[in-house]
Amino acid sequence: MIEVKNLVRTFNSGDRTIKPVNDVSFELEQGTLASIVGKSGSGKSTLLSLLGALDKPTSGDVVVNGVSLAGMPDAKLTEYRRRDIGFVFQQFNLIPNLSAVDNVMLPMEFAGIRKAVRLQRAKDLLVQVQLDPEKHDRRTNRLSGGEQQRVAIARALANEPQLILADEPTGNLDEQTGDHIIELLSSLSRNHNTTILVVTHDRALANKTDRRFRLQQGKLTEEPASRPVVAASA
Amino acid sequence: MSVLARSVGNAFRNKVRTAAVVAVLAVAIGLALAMLVANQAVGAKVQELNASVGTVLTVNPAGGQGFEGGGEPLTAEQAATAAAVPNVSAVVGTQSLRLRNATEAAAQAAAGTAGGPGGGQGGPGGQSSATLTTSLTAAVDAGTLGGRNQAANGTTGTAGTTPPARSLPITATGIGAEVDTTGKALAITEGTGLGDYTAESTSALLGTTLAEKNSLTVGSTFTINDQAYTVAGLFDAGTAFGNNAVYVTLPTAQTLAGLPGELSSMIVTVDSLENVASTKTALEGALGPDNADVTQGQNLETALGSLGSVKNISLIAFIAALGTAGLIILLIMVMLVRERRREIGVLKAIGAPNRTIGLQFVLEALVLAALGSAAGAAIASFASGGIASALISTNSTSTTAAPTTGRGAAMAGAAGGAGLPGGGAGFPGGQGGPFGGAAQLVTSVTASASPGVIAAGIGAVFGVAIIGALVPALLTARIRPIEVLRGE
Ligand SMILES: Nc1ncnc2c1ncn2[C@@H]1O[C@H](COP(=O)(O)OP(=O)(O)OP(=O)(O)O)[C@@H](O)[C@H]1O
Ligand SMILES: [Mg+2]
Repeated sequence: MIEVKNLVRTFNSGDRTIKPVNDVSFELEQGTLASIVGKSGSGKSTLLSLLGALDKPTSGDVVVNGVSLAGMPDAKLTEYRRRDIGFVFQQFNLIPNLSAVDNVMLPMEFAGIRKAVRLQRAKDLLVQVQLDPEKHDRRTNRLSGGEQQRVAIARALANEPQLILADEPTGNLDEQTGDHIIELLSSLSRNHNTTILVVTHDRALANKTDRRFRLQQGKLTEEPASRPVVAASA
Repeated sequence: MSVLARSVGNAFRNKVRTAAVVAVLAVAIGLALAMLVANQAVGAKVQELNASVGTVLTVNPAGGQGFEGGGEPLTAEQAATAAAVPNVSAVVGTQSLRLRNATEAAAQAAAGTAGGPGGGQGGPGGQSSATLTTSLTAAVDAGTLGGRNQAANGTTGTAGTTPPARSLPITATGIGAEVDTTGKALAITEGTGLGDYTAESTSALLGTTLAEKNSLTVGSTFTINDQAYTVAGLFDAGTAFGNNAVYVTLPTAQTLAGLPGELSSMIVTVDSLENVASTKTALEGALGPDNADVTQGQNLETALGSLGSVKNISLIAFIAALGTAGLIILLIMVMLVRERRREIGVLKAIGAPNRTIGLQFVLEALVLAALGSAAGAAIASFASGGIASALISTNSTSTTAAPTTGRGAAMAGAAGGAGLPGGGAGFPGGQGGPFGGAAQLVTSVTASASPGVIAAGIGAVFGVAIIGALVPALLTARIRPIEVLRGE
């Protein structure tokens, strides 16, 4: 369960102040698959990084399972990111000189998981995101954009987080592979009770989520469920 | 993949840059180590010199030295007074004798050219001429220097006649302990010492070259004033002049000279180097400046001074080179970490603790520093010997001027009684005596790479590398990840 309370993030660019996130409040039950849509530059990535404790809000708070992120010390925030959050970056942010497997193993290494276990799990995850097995040991700077995107998704799933924050996870994928990723995420929310918040421009993807939000001029509005939940349509 | 494997991998991420970094590090570290090694070598030598001779003071009768100059002789009572001065650990009295080969002396006297008082070469004034005859022949040829000096000293104006070949006198010294005239322990190369140096004895110690010249060995006999003496042992003073000498016990020399209880000099040993200056003043006070001149081993002071300056130069060079190595490593590490800010942001964003990030960059720095140090140590082991001898030969160029002055002082000693301590160098034909030995010591300093020295230098380099990697990595890790990920 994640509660977002009156979240504000302002930036000073030159002489004017911009507010991509301006008094945003919402709640997500554990296991919900939700999406955020909005125009480019509307503040979607900014909101996601606040939820993922990569950035600090100007004001407001994020409460995860009753624990407030505001005022949490740096080491605790790091632990929160390592244990509770799986973040898929819009720019992937893989370590370029490490192989796909090594990249996926990193969060597990930080969590202190034994090497044999994390190697096996990393390979399983890469299979799940449909990365060609012969590319598992390839350095990620020699993979295509879509391949890198899938490695980034696999890395986000590594520590079985309770909240996955994915910024445009299908932006570089063909329709078929994109559909597969959506399936993967919705099965996680259904079968593992994982809360998933996806930022997307893809209307089809958004329509398959339990709850849909729109970010506009710093304000978040929820669209009424036009259709029953994804599970029913699948 | 572990942190270590990742760090090693990162160190070789860009091979050309790694090679360049290691090469630059190696030169800086190599230079620093070479300087440290040179500094250590000189330092050890300075200590050795200090330990051996730095604490010796020589007391001569005021205005006199050896057989030259004037004033009142020193006495056994004054030796007791000196021994009572605080911080004095030993006082050794000496009585110098001048020996002439009996046959040559007779021949020269017959020729009427050596007309000094008493038929010998007693200087103008000075201690009563204790010139005695001996069966020994000097091991040093008079040469030009000797001839000149002898002419100045003894001849009563036979202008126009060609000076005949002269032989040099031999120094015989009565000593109260088994030390030479500079207070250093005698290096006995064959046979034994004289046993009790405070009793009369018919045993004597001969310098190696003097014994050789006279075909004497341990157990052979020779005469002084027709009295037979047995060679108990041979010693090596390290110089040709020093080896043209005889040592007998102090009472023997006093009896031979007919001056019981009189001393021609005292060798005073001070308990520690720090007390030398104050003890010198105290001794002058106790004996009275009108009665005694107290001198320090100036030759050694000069040698120590110049060695000290080499030590300082090499220390400054070491610090400069180490500082340069440190600065290079620091800047390289700061640059490497800076270049990978984004990576730190990613690691932090996916939950890496600060210590893991710090460790990764420290290990990477250590890999580079280890490679640089290994190459640097190789450079140092080739360069340090050359650098040390270069430093020391530069130094001995500047000190070669000093022996000239020393020789001048030795000659001036004939008139004023200044000159070098120990009396020995004040003799005609002297070649700067102990100074030659000191110069030899200076040039014999050779740098050797001790493991401790290398470890200290490399340790310092590693320390800087760790700081250079750790500080910027941790500073970056403290920034919120999104700012680092977004870049500058
Ligand atoms: N550090 C910053 N300083 C100043 N302005 C910023 C900063 N970060 C983001 N912005 C601005 O905030 C706004 C929201 O940016 P954000 O990246 O959240 O947009 P977005 O909705 O993710 O867009 P896109 O769909 O193109 O990814 C943009 O106008 C952007 O220029
Ligand atoms: Mg965005």
